[in-house]
Amino acid sequence: MNFSFDVIWHNLPYLLAAARWTLLISVAGMAISIIWGVFLCAARISKNPLLSNLAALYISFFRGVPLLVQLLMAYYMLPYVGLDLPAIAAAILAVGLCSAAYTAEILRGALQAIPAGQTEAAHALGIPAFSLWKRILVPQAVRIGLPSLVNELILLVKVSSLASVVGIGELTRISQNITGQTYRPLEIYIAAAAIYFLINLVISGLGRLAEKRLQAG
Amino acid sequence: MKKKLIGFAAVVGVSLGLAGAAHADQLADIKAKGKMTAATEMHYAPFDILVDGKYEGICHDLFTEVAKELGVEVEFLDLPWQSILPGLEAGKFDFVNAPVTITAERLKRYNFTLPIGNATVALAKKAGDGSISKPEDIAGKAVGSQKGSAQLEQLKAFSATLNPPADVREYVNIDEALADLAAGRIQAVANSMPLMGYAAVQRPGLFEMVMPPFGDPKYFGWVGTGGEESKTLIAAINDAILKMHEDGRLKAINEKWLGTAPELPTTMPDVK
Amino acid sequence: MELDLFVRYGPALIRGFGVTILCWAAGSLGGLVLGFVIACLYRWSIAPVRWVIYAYVEVIRGTPFMIQLFILYYGGPYIGLVLSPVQAGILSFIVYGSPYFSEIFRSGFNAVPKGQVEAARCVGMAEATILRRIVLPQMLVPITPPLTNFFIILTKETAILSVVTVPELLYETQTMAAETFTYVEPFLVLSLFYWLMVIGTNWLGGRVEARVTRHLKRA
Repeated sequence: MNFSFDVIWHNLPYLLAAARWTLLISVAGMAISIIWGVFLCAARISKNPLLSNLAALYISFFRGVPLLVQLLMAYYMLPYVGLDLPAIAAAILAVGLCSAAYTAEILRGALQAIPAGQTEAAHALGIPAFSLWKRILVPQAVRIGLPSLVNELILLVKVSSLASVVGIGELTRISQNITGQTYRPLEIYIAAAAIYFLINLVISGLGRLAEKRLQAG
Repeated sequence: MKKKLIGFAAVVGVSLGLAGAAHADQLADIKAKGKMTAATEMHYAPFDILVDGKYEGICHDLFTEVAKELGVEVEFLDLPWQSILPGLEAGKFDFVNAPVTITAERLKRYNFTLPIGNATVALAKKAGDGSISKPEDIAGKAVGSQKGSAQLEQLKAFSATLNPPADVREYVNIDEALADLAAGRIQAVANSMPLMGYAAVQRPGLFEMVMPPFGDPKYFGWVGTGGEESKTLIAAINDAILKMHEDGRLKAINEKWLGTAPELPTTMPDVK
Repeated sequence: MELDLFVRYGPALIRGFGVTILCWAAGSLGGLVLGFVIACLYRWSIAPVRWVIYAYVEVIRGTPFMIQLFILYYGGPYIGLVLSPVQAGILSFIVYGSPYFSEIFRSGFNAVPKGQVEAARCVGMAEATILRRIVLPQMLVPITPPLTNFFIILTKETAILSVVTVPELLYETQTMAAETFTYVEPFLVLSLFYWLMVIGTNWLGGRVEARVTRHLKRA
């Protein structure tokens, strides 16, 4: 099939330049996903029915509507209500807010696995709610949910490719553009896959490291 | 559940309702600003391509000249097709300088410029395939084309006149049809003549053009928003295109990319 | 918005939705089973096998589904592997989902205190019995929400099958968008259909969750 390494070599700098956008969206999106996900999860399991239902509604919407449509709405429909976000901000927000819905559910599952006796004991000892969360519940939930969280963060890296619909030349988009000019999709896609793989290898490596440390403790 | 549906419908409704009432006169706005933004998909050779990170191609060269005629600076934006129409209506950019086949259904919704390229359908086959030497030879063979494209319609109409008709397969992008031609699942790909020609030039050992083109003559135009506000802009761009017809720039740019210059009409083609 | 569009394209869209559901159900259930097998193999086998599994998980999970599918479908014929679109779609869907599922199962295994398994071994319980009676009932508690999550994520990954001409929902929606030069209507259709699938999956996940957390709700 005359596989051409030259084509990969020649276009590698452009692919790597595009991967910087992928990285930026992923890292910023992850921060939003985790922080906002913890709050959402707390709201979802809260005894206050209003909070809990609002969180359920949020999760249903952000998991239900395809991210592609969410992004188009954030970028092309918010201007009609007076909110004109720059493309990169819209991309990061959409990716992060959507991923937070999944993160919240992962944490909720993990929290359920923590024996209820621990919370009861903390209440009995008069430990304030914030310390209960920070010192007792979240560390354990993170340990139990870590592999699923790493799954979600890796999915986030890949889903950042949708940022192309708001005009950001990230890795997948640039690979497709190069393919459109060189007519060598297999070569270019394999190179792009390798870059995604390396990014995700770092994430899953950090995940395994964290897992080991949390289990030792 | 209902609440969310209503919320979503409201956002969509707002976008539809306000879409018509955006600008009064786009041309005046653009001239006042001294610059404009044009969006395209840098993914349709040889009209719009990304070479070594730079935007090039027929549409790039032509529109750069048009902007000079308008006396404004132009900034180009790469967007996938699914966000070009929403972006145009939301006013994220002023104009679409992608080659879009002029059809009756599309003219109902958006304003087109005069033709800027030849969109007549032609075939590409695998290099050295002796069983296809003219378009009629695709009878009974598997032929790929792009979903929803005007060229697909032409291919289907042509195939219906053959005995046996061709087995027409529809791909989301033309890249995938070409990849399947290379992989051997299909024997030919039908798309606009310039694109097929460029594929044959880029991968000479792999793809080959089948001459002549077939079906009705079709043309690519550029697209502005529907409604009145883009009328003056479209008229100014049309004037620039006509001027480039006369002074030979249109021909020169086409020859640079295609080797030959297509005959392009200087009036809006009659589309049914 | 033009309602006659939905009349014109309705049958094709509903057919596409059917194909989406079929590919999703076959692919994700296959991935679930394969993922469970992988997680068990990882847990109960020797080091070299674990390295192979580790590499499989990282490579498949770390690369985009679109590229995997593209390479399988358009690259396969170069090595004599010619699959039909639906075959390639479902096969790659099973493979793509399996490492995510196996990681979720692995997290479930880890959530069960080691002491319980050791105690069960001490009293002479067989490994299969330990898995069925001690590990599984407890691990299902933390992993049901992430499993539901991933089934939901997979509903939308089916859209990628359009790249190899599987006539699923996005494939049919794109016909409507390209032929009629519309965008609001197609996105509305996509959102509503996917949302239906997500609501259904979420409801099912909720039922499973209620069932597996029954023992926690005594008090």
